[in-house]
Amino acid sequence: MTSIPEALLWCLSAGTAAAVVLAALLVRTHKQRADLRQRLTASEEQNSATLHSNTELSARLRATEAEIRHLAGARLPDLTMALAHPHVPVRGLLDSRFAGSETDHALTAVLEQIGQAVTSERQRVDAAAQSTLRGATTTIQALLYRLQTALQDMQHRYDDPQIAQDLLDADFLNEQALRRIQATSVVCGAWPGLTREDSYLAELVVGATSRLRGYERVQVSNQLRDPVAVVARAVEPIAITVTELLANALHHSHQELPVTVTLQQGNRGASVIIDDYGVGMHDDEIKHAMELLSGDDDLLLTQLGDPPRSGFAAAGQLVRQYGYGVHVEPSPYGGVRAVVYIPGDPLLTVLDESAQPMSVMAPLPHRAGVPDRSSSVLPTGASTPPPAAHAPSAVRPAAAPAQTAAPTPAPDPAARPDAPAAPAPAEGELPRRRRRKPVSEDEQSAPRAESIPPRSPEETASRWAALQQGTESGRAAAQSEPPRSPEGNAH
Amino acid sequence: MTPRQSNRRLVPAYLATGGRARPSRNTLDRLSLLHSAGMPVTSEVRPEERRILELLQPGALSLAEVAAHLHLPVSVVKVLVADLVDAGRLHARVPIPEAEQFDRQILERVLDGLRSLKS
Repeated sequence: MTSIPEALLWCLSAGTAAAVVLAALLVRTHKQRADLRQRLTASEEQNSATLHSNTELSARLRATEAEIRHLAGARLPDLTMALAHPHVPVRGLLDSRFAGSETDHALTAVLEQIGQAVTSERQRVDAAAQSTLRGATTTIQALLYRLQTALQDMQHRYDDPQIAQDLLDADFLNEQALRRIQATSVVCGAWPGLTREDSYLAELVVGATSRLRGYERVQVSNQLRDPVAVVARAVEPIAITVTELLANALHHSHQELPVTVTLQQGNRGASVIIDDYGVGMHDDEIKHAMELLSGDDDLLLTQLGDPPRSGFAAAGQLVRQYGYGVHVEPSPYGGVRAVVYIPGDPLLTVLDESAQPMSVMAPLPHRAGVPDRSSSVLPTGASTPPPAAHAPSAVRPAAAPAQTAAPTPAPDPAARPDAPAAPAPAEGELPRRRRRKPVSEDEQSAPRAESIPPRSPEETASRWAALQQGTESGRAAAQSEPPRSPEGNAH
Repeated sequence: MTPRQSNRRLVPAYLATGGRARPSRNTLDRLSLLHSAGMPVTSEVRPEERRILELLQPGALSLAEVAAHLHLPVSVVKVLVADLVDAGRLHARVPIPEAEQFDRQILERVLDGLRSLKS
């Protein structure tokens, strides 16, 4: 019987033990479960965070790609356009959230690199084009000068009107070709290609007009007091500048309207003022012209437009190199006024007109017109004929007395008997040169000039008396001679 | 007198006549004698014409001499002179050809005849 309770006891104890173990296991499982649940939550959270950041990253990637596409599709074309045309704006970032980020820096660096590369390549290509053109124009210019010399020689050689006409026409064509070639070569960085000697400003301006079609519309009025001349090195540059400004004036005004040029002498220099009465220029055209004329920037052929307008650009280059000034403004007459100011100190001089006569085509000083006649009448109207030495200065017709008489009327007539050859300059003033009488011609004209002043009746009588005496004595001599054959017959 | 002839001209010859080389009268010659008509020089006279009148004021010159003084081709000066003659400011005289000059012998015989008449 004892076996049953024993067995029961065993069973019970085994059951208890199992229960304890199970309980312990249960507790442990519970713990693990809680732990797992916690972990699950955490990892779920992590997972969602990862997902979130993943979407964020992919969105950002798409934005960056869009930004790069924007760079390639919009900003780079903008940049190349802006390098050629400075007024074109370059667009910024597509997405403003990138501002200041690494992406922004990288993209900006790309733009800068490309900008530099494009600029330097453009300059290189332009310099190559300029040097090619320069080489060609320099040679052509030299050839055209030789042609000019040949044509000039032929003009002096042939008198026939028809040949002369052809020669003059050819000469004019050659001058126009020279002007174009010269402007182009100056734009390409060459020097003007010709050094002249010191030349009168009036002559220079007239010479500049002769290079243009329509030169007969240009009216030059000379207000210079002295025979002002431009020093040798600046003659051709200033001539080119005046030519180009005149070309602009002629081009922008109607074919029947005049273009007036005034030469004005200032205290410290001289000015050439060119006025046209044409359509004028817009504000931005004038601004562009002034930018070119200031000559500050390096010039690119690509900036000159098509067909290239090289006039102002050439003038600007020369202005920078030779140190005179050009100003363009809307004129009060509705057209354009261009002023070339030539500073007296390095660029002007005064020449002796007796040593170097001015060209006959140069306009006379304006002032010579009015006081001219009164002063030329005055010496010849005097009752006594002037002595022989005074004859040239007394009968010198045009501008010589007028130039000195206009500013200093009082001392001049008094000084004339003392100074036969040249009118005396007033104290403290610059010596004034006489106008265009070559020396040798003065000497030639002196004996001839004696016959011009009106003779008094007594003088006339004595001359006739001398003639009569001469013939009388001749007849007496003939009579006293041994008779020749015809006379012998008559006796 | 011409120190600048070796240098390149600044003002071309065609500017003097506005490109014309055909004179308005074809009677002018290199040797035509020109003398001023003595009209007062007014402001409408162009500078180059004024210079010709100035040159001729002391006396007559031939057309070729005028051209040399002005450093201009004869053909151009012919045009200028023709204009001045047309305007009445200048008289031009055709040179007497060699063949038409008076025979010296005849003149001498006339002179002798006159002398014999007197005595």
